[in-house]
Amino acid sequence: MVFTVTMVSAIIICLAGILYRFGRWFVVEIGPEAESVTIPERMAAAFTETVKIVFSPRIIFLVRGLFADVLLQLHLLRQSFWRWGMHMALFYGFGLLILMHALDDPLTRALFPWYESTLNPFFFLRNLFGLMVLIGAVIAVSRRLFLKRKGLFTSFADRFTLGLITTILLSGFALEAVQIGSEPIFDEMVVEYMDEDNEEVLDPLKVYWAAEYGVVFSRSMDTRNRSALRLGAEIHQEYCAYCHSHPVSAFVSYPLSRGVRAGAVFLNRIRADRFLRTCHFLAVFIALALLPFSKFFHLVSTPISLLVKRLGSTPNAPSEGRLNRRALALDACTHCGVCSLSCSVAPLYRLIPNPTILPSEKLATLRKKRIIPLLSGKEKSILSEGSFICTECRRCTDVCPSGIDLQDLWHASKQDLIRAGFPEPHLWIMRRTTAEWADQKASETVDNAPASLKSAGPINLTGRPESFASCVQCTTCTTVCPVVAAVDDPAEELDLTPQQVMNLLRLEMKQTAMGARMIWKCVTCYLCQEHCPQGVKVADVMYELRNIASDRFQPAEPEPSATGEEVRSKSGKGSKEK
Amino acid sequence: MMETRPDVHCDLMIIGCGMAGAAAALFASARGIDTIQVGMTGELNYASGLIDLLGVHPIAEGRKWDNPWAGIDRLVKDCPRHPYARLERRDMHTALSVFFSMLEMGGLPYTHTADRNLQIITPVGSVKSTYAVPETMKNGVRALEEKAPCLMVDFKGLKGYSSRQIAETLKTQWPKLRAGRLEFPDTGGDLFSEQLARRLDLPETLAHLAADIRGLVGQEAFVGLPAIVGLYKSRAAFEDLQRQVGLPLFEIAVMPPSVAGLRLRHVFEQQLPHRGVNTFFQQKVFSADYEKKRGFRFRVGTEEPQFVVHAKGAVLASGRFFGKGLHADRKEIRETVFGLPVHQTADRTGWHRKRLLDRRGHGINRSGLETDRFLRPLGVDGRPAFPTLHAAGSILAHQDWVRQKCGSGLAITTAYAAVKAFADLLV
Repeated sequence: MVFTVTMVSAIIICLAGILYRFGRWFVVEIGPEAESVTIPERMAAAFTETVKIVFSPRIIFLVRGLFADVLLQLHLLRQSFWRWGMHMALFYGFGLLILMHALDDPLTRALFPWYESTLNPFFFLRNLFGLMVLIGAVIAVSRRLFLKRKGLFTSFADRFTLGLITTILLSGFALEAVQIGSEPIFDEMVVEYMDEDNEEVLDPLKVYWAAEYGVVFSRSMDTRNRSALRLGAEIHQEYCAYCHSHPVSAFVSYPLSRGVRAGAVFLNRIRADRFLRTCHFLAVFIALALLPFSKFFHLVSTPISLLVKRLGSTPNAPSEGRLNRRALALDACTHCGVCSLSCSVAPLYRLIPNPTILPSEKLATLRKKRIIPLLSGKEKSILSEGSFICTECRRCTDVCPSGIDLQDLWHASKQDLIRAGFPEPHLWIMRRTTAEWADQKASETVDNAPASLKSAGPINLTGRPESFASCVQCTTCTTVCPVVAAVDDPAEELDLTPQQVMNLLRLEMKQTAMGARMIWKCVTCYLCQEHCPQGVKVADVMYELRNIASDRFQPAEPEPSATGEEVRSKSGKGSKEK
Repeated sequence: MMETRPDVHCDLMIIGCGMAGAAAALFASARGIDTIQVGMTGELNYASGLIDLLGVHPIAEGRKWDNPWAGIDRLVKDCPRHPYARLERRDMHTALSVFFSMLEMGGLPYTHTADRNLQIITPVGSVKSTYAVPETMKNGVRALEEKAPCLMVDFKGLKGYSSRQIAETLKTQWPKLRAGRLEFPDTGGDLFSEQLARRLDLPETLAHLAADIRGLVGQEAFVGLPAIVGLYKSRAAFEDLQRQVGLPLFEIAVMPPSVAGLRLRHVFEQQLPHRGVNTFFQQKVFSADYEKKRGFRFRVGTEEPQFVVHAKGAVLASGRFFGKGLHADRKEIRETVFGLPVHQTADRTGWHRKRLLDRRGHGINRSGLETDRFLRPLGVDGRPAFPTLHAAGSILAHQDWVRQKCGSGLAITTAYAAVKAFADLLV
């Protein structure tokens, strides 16, 4: 009764959860398209699009995708044999366990009327599939434990998922092992299938099962008694054999059972099988109930994502489709970390401890609230820094095993960040003129200034007077500067020219110099530095100023006066000149 | 520190890429000497583009010389330790003529007369004597001489240059000088002369400017402009503009970094490698050592030593303080490459007089290296510090080129003498 209630509740939670998550794919809004598209429109678009594809020749793409990406996972094989092996073992091991073990009564028995869980090949296969999952889990755990590469994060969800899989598997094997050696179960079976209490019949059977099938009886059995064995074998053939293959087929649980046979009497007495059965089922029900709310959901979402990818790239999709796909992307990510391992700006993470530089963690942050405006100011600020370091090189998209168009996701989330008031760092600077920044930061003496102002890391050109001591303000840097040459009026559009920036540094007016748009429009072509007759490292100094400024000027909360629109219009004006 | 590039070998190493270093490299290549040159070419940005030979002597009296050679005669008599006193008159003539012919070949012809200083206008309206000027300034000499009706043009936003100031300063002696101001075509805000010069390399901008000038000209016979007419193609640009305006034009040198100096620099940067000098521009000499058998070993690089130059001899043309050939610390003045003894006042109090603009000049401006007659810097014992090290240009002691108006002439002629002495001693 308890069992049924638990199971039914788990199934109900699971189904409701799956529906909830399906529904969310039409609600989550990432990207500027969300402004002009409603939820019903998105649902309708998904529906009509699906119908159109199913009844069109493009279905062939889906069929191909189903075989290549979902069933054979060839895209993983192309990347790494080990990862493919791990995933195939987990995928097929788990999938087949579900089909031929978890769903044995409704499914397996329907397909194979002679099915019995203790009969071969099912007995053997269950162990095989279980071992596959176990091997996959071991590879997955070792990858996370021993592949100590920067950028591979292991989250609670990863640990929980692997832990739950391992619990299910180990409890299953342990349960089977204890069942093999269990005297109480033997007795129950005898009652159920023989209805015999004549000791002359039962004793030989016990001797036979003790000798051949590994049951451990509390009373010791004379397993060398040949006549009892022969008799037992005959009774076995008559009553048991049609349901029981030899347990050696259970090539994991049987050796395990033999291994614990010294303690088997104790285990039988405390009915360890019942305890383990509860554990096993509980773990399975937990997994089932949590399926829509955990990493297990990728069993559903990732194949869909892989199939959707086959239908064409996200940027080419209509705006409803783009929004739906992005919502799906958040669910399809398995947090495998492959993107972060091949991310071309990942090395920056060693210098800037902001995990959202890495694609896997950026996506994890997006997934937290699923809509950028719901993130806290601090979270948005961190996400903005990480997002705008991304160069959109597309490597993450190319390697993603779940077929997610990460490139499109970053593109959309960056626009959301801009709209939320968290644009690229240099746009912060553009909100004020040099003079305004200087006024605002005037109260900061060098003593109470943030650490970044006093020292700019190991190089610290701007903190050392020798860096510009030899500057004679000859304007060579300014006259060779292509940025100065490109604007109509440097004072109006750049605030300061390079040589004026150097002059402010000579005057110890670093705060004012940092606010100049010049340092943000600098293209680091190094003409100034190469031409400086006095060997001043003009470009390096400006680059350093840029780094310090982005550290200092970026507020944690958006400023009410400067909305995203305002920032965009200002930046639009700035970019035209280039 | 590790040298990461292979060693290079040469007969003559020239340290410095200013006027003296560039001239020395030119003369060495003309003699077929296997030459390496190392240094920052940026200092040439500060050259005015005018070639002074001798303008003033004695400086305390401010006496100007119409004939520079007569001035040099007097200077050598009064100051026998002046570097000019070490030079043969014939060599000085040769040096200048080789130098000017190289500039001509590089597309930057100069004008001079044999024994007369030219009078030209400066951006503030004063009149300056100099020995040779770029051909683009030639008409200015004539206009000033004839006091002809002349339009002086400047540009809104160009700092350090005012045609109104020029006209005001000169109005008593040149009443027919008129000031006019233009907006530079297709630009606004602060203007920078180098950028304007680059823009005028483009025919469209040039045509636009010519039309603007024509609109401003009245009855004038000459038009004067800041020296911004073209950078890489200045000769063609100037002739084109003159043709389009339809009047004789002339340029006036602007404040440094001046376009006339940049043009010189571009000619050197192109001509020297072309003439076979192995140039390492924008690199520095970090240390030097010498062995009698093997000659000099210089460690050279950009930020740190990257390779070694082996040389039989060297010309030290590293300049004074601005070029970093000399360094003044709290106590004394040092020579930066070899640590050679530097002629200087007994202590720091003698470096400067009380008044900044004292006409006699300051002690520090006569400091530098003392040499023998082969321009070899002397060591502590009063004998040449190295048998094959020669010095040229402003690093030499007992001259005040700024006040004597002899900067470029000194650089060119001492460079010639240094290379000649090296070549003579090598044989």
